[in-house]
Amino acid sequence: MRRRDFITLALGAVTWPRVACAQQPTKVYRIFWVSSESQPDPFLDGFREGLRERGYAEGKDVVFELYYSAGDPDELRQVISALKRGNIDLAVSSGPATRVLMDVTEVPVLFALSGDPVELGIVKSLGQPGGNFTGTSFLSLELAGKRVELLKDIFPKLRTLAVLSNTDHPGEPSEWQTTQQTTHALGMDPVYVSFFGAREFDKALEAASKVRADAMLVFPDAVTMARRTKLAEFAISGRLPSMFGWSEYCDAGGLMSYGANQRATYVRLATYADRILHGEKPANLPVERPTKFELAVNLRTARALGVEGAISSILFRANKVIE
Amino acid sequence: MRSAGLDPSVRYTGLITLPVRRPRRSLFLRYFFTLFIAVVVPLILGAVSEAWFGYREQRLHVNELLQAEARSAADRIQTFIDGISDQIGWVVQFPWTEGDDDPHKIDAERLLQQVPAIVSITLVDQTGTERAFVSRLGLNRIGRGANMAEDRAVLGARASKVWYGPVLYRRDSEPYMVIAVAGNRAADGVAIADINLKLIWDVIAAIKIGNTGRAFVSDDSGRLIAHPDISLVLRGGAGSSIFNRLTSTVAAANGSAVVTTGDEGKAVVAASVRAANVGWTVIAQQPVSEAFASIRAGLWRALSLVLVGALFAAALAYWLAHRMSGPIRQLEDGVQRIGAGQFDHRITISSGDELEQLAKRFNEMAEELTASKEKSERISRLKRFLAPQVAELVEQSDERLLEGRRREVVAIFGDLRDFTAFSARAEPDVIMAVLSEYYEAVGAVVSRHEATLTGFGGDGVMVLVNAPVARRNPAARAVRLAIDMQAAVQSLVFGWRAKGHAIGFGVGIAMGPAIVGTVGYEGRIDYTAIGSVVNLASRLCGSAKDGEILIDPAVAEGVKDSIAIESLGVRLIKGYDHPLPIFVVARSDLRQSHSQERKSGRPVDAVADEARASSQPQDSDGVLP
Repeated sequence: MRRRDFITLALGAVTWPRVACAQQPTKVYRIFWVSSESQPDPFLDGFREGLRERGYAEGKDVVFELYYSAGDPDELRQVISALKRGNIDLAVSSGPATRVLMDVTEVPVLFALSGDPVELGIVKSLGQPGGNFTGTSFLSLELAGKRVELLKDIFPKLRTLAVLSNTDHPGEPSEWQTTQQTTHALGMDPVYVSFFGAREFDKALEAASKVRADAMLVFPDAVTMARRTKLAEFAISGRLPSMFGWSEYCDAGGLMSYGANQRATYVRLATYADRILHGEKPANLPVERPTKFELAVNLRTARALGVEGAISSILFRANKVIE
Repeated sequence: MRSAGLDPSVRYTGLITLPVRRPRRSLFLRYFFTLFIAVVVPLILGAVSEAWFGYREQRLHVNELLQAEARSAADRIQTFIDGISDQIGWVVQFPWTEGDDDPHKIDAERLLQQVPAIVSITLVDQTGTERAFVSRLGLNRIGRGANMAEDRAVLGARASKVWYGPVLYRRDSEPYMVIAVAGNRAADGVAIADINLKLIWDVIAAIKIGNTGRAFVSDDSGRLIAHPDISLVLRGGAGSSIFNRLTSTVAAANGSAVVTTGDEGKAVVAASVRAANVGWTVIAQQPVSEAFASIRAGLWRALSLVLVGALFAAALAYWLAHRMSGPIRQLEDGVQRIGAGQFDHRITISSGDELEQLAKRFNEMAEELTASKEKSERISRLKRFLAPQVAELVEQSDERLLEGRRREVVAIFGDLRDFTAFSARAEPDVIMAVLSEYYEAVGAVVSRHEATLTGFGGDGVMVLVNAPVARRNPAARAVRLAIDMQAAVQSLVFGWRAKGHAIGFGVGIAMGPAIVGTVGYEGRIDYTAIGSVVNLASRLCGSAKDGEILIDPAVAEGVKDSIAIESLGVRLIKGYDHPLPIFVVARSDLRQSHSQERKSGRPVDAVADEARASSQPQDSDGVLP
């Protein structure tokens, strides 16, 4: 599994700028996209959509340099030297990749984190980040408990809950802790199926299949996000009602998800990118938090699992229903 | 004769170079500025007054606009908050009974689904006990919980049905507030909702005043609650002093718009309205640059109008002033040239007004001057040989009088005796003094008698009578002239002798036909007579002794009745084959006719017994053929 799938895409870096220069003298911004996701990347699409809404044309006004390392942030360290080379106007990090950029001080960095950026030490406070970092924090710790509660609301008889978690993720211990507390409070037994990074994922699935669980909870994270279809298929084949963090999992076949709309968050992140590219300092741009949390339900999966009846009790609370 | 100076160029030069002092302020400049100011000042006054009234009007308009916008923003915020309160009211419609927590909880969950701004809701029964807690983030709680009877929100809601808590900032960033709503009956309990005020952003961001104007909301402490730029709200305490100042400044104006420094450091016009239910201040502001853009545009318009007007006025004033001063310059130049004698100078002005008339008059004047000058030149030319009166007469009647013709004339010759000897002895200045006295005396007499002086030649003089103008009794007239002349010169002779100059004066007169007319070339024109009568007169003059006037028989015949003459017998005159009887004017007659001079003490009868034939007329050659 030592496959180094570094995909370094300097989109149009060779051809586009020359054309752009010939057309007009406006500055072409170079944005460094660092992600531990993999392509196709719905978050990057969201971010691009946001930039388009702000009037940026890719190739003409803005050029992306994409650095991906599917599920292995450590490999991203090598991109730091690339970033420090200069001529980058803005770095955008998605997910845990932000950790890699913590040493970067010269380039403004936009992040979208599930953890607490203050705890992580990249901003001084949410109101006034004070450094070269700013962005969005999902603050999903509370949501971890909420997801368990939702499962319990739908399946009151639920006892054993398989919890799939990537331990190579900032804030993972507290997320697990919250989950544990909630399951205990609601009279459930959590079965912790942890793995470290993408390399151990398949092993974790194997382990999970051996657990006689009533349902499955998957922590939202780059590694599981990248393998959401596989996870959904696994849950259906194991007849497990599944709960995820983001609606993308649901789109891929997961039964339910509860959390902030990631894509909308990235679209919104483009607003900050625009302001930073126009000269504002990240230090003065408060870290934003999502205000809308959506409950997504995949009815097809519910049908496949034969839990339509139970699910219907919660449909009135759902923001997104996939049929 | 001297030249009459007909070549103008020679004469002008001396006059033209005379320095003409230019006036201190030219007419052109005066006209130019007057006309210019006459146009530009009203333009400027118009522009200024328009700008002033426009400004006042715009000020009023901006005031109304901002007040309306602030009021509308406040209304929208109130509606937003009231909407939430109303929605919360749904969950306090049914009284609490034992064991019906679930329906209440479902109501609360539906409320959360319905109102995104509500983060969590706590339901409290009539006893003040928490019965349900439903949250988007935290875990729900069902069943009897904490006693909240003394909670501010519960007390507030029970007192006034709806209670609005203060705005609190979570982690010093996101604004939250609590709204508590009590049911109609005490049994319905109280719902306490936690509201995320970030969602007012949608309301505030939708408010646009003009292109860049906007509204924002702050609480009494001046801390921002809502702003189109949400990050200013999320920034927490930082920068709140700016909004605090702005809020208090604008609020102090009691709703009318004030001009102040906005949150971005630019000048803004702002008005405030209070949202009564929550006690917040809504401020609508617009940058001054935009609020008064129309004024500025108007000012620019007026300014460009003034500029265009000024340019136009300048051009017009220049044209008019030039039109006025140009002809005046031309006239001035013309006057100067005429003054310098360039009479052929004419002015062409075709302005079609009084100036053209003036130029026409000027040209007429120049023509008159030319004619008059030509006339005066002619007269002065005639005066060389004619007595002034005769010259006038000739000029007035007919110049053809001067043309050559044969006519009866009386020729008078006179010359000084012993002048040659005197001139050989005397100093030149003495000679010239003597001659000028002599010419003066003779000239005066000739003028008085209106005779024609054909010329002086050294000490000799020739005078004609009856030519060019015919006279009655020319002989007598000639003799009287000769007598006067002899008397005048003799009085001089007396003086000369006293100084030791031995000079005398003799005169000869003859009458007969001669050819008279002008001869000469270019400017040197003389009037003269040619004929034997002239020779005769010259010979007689040569024969006359000092103080004598010899006359020929023709003259003697003409004067014998009026003037006493004596016969000198018959003499042989050079150039004549036969001797001629010669007469002399009697001395008594001479004396008699000079009683005037005698009275004045001048000796007339000082005729010395000089040798009468010793001197010959020296200059009669010129008149002799």
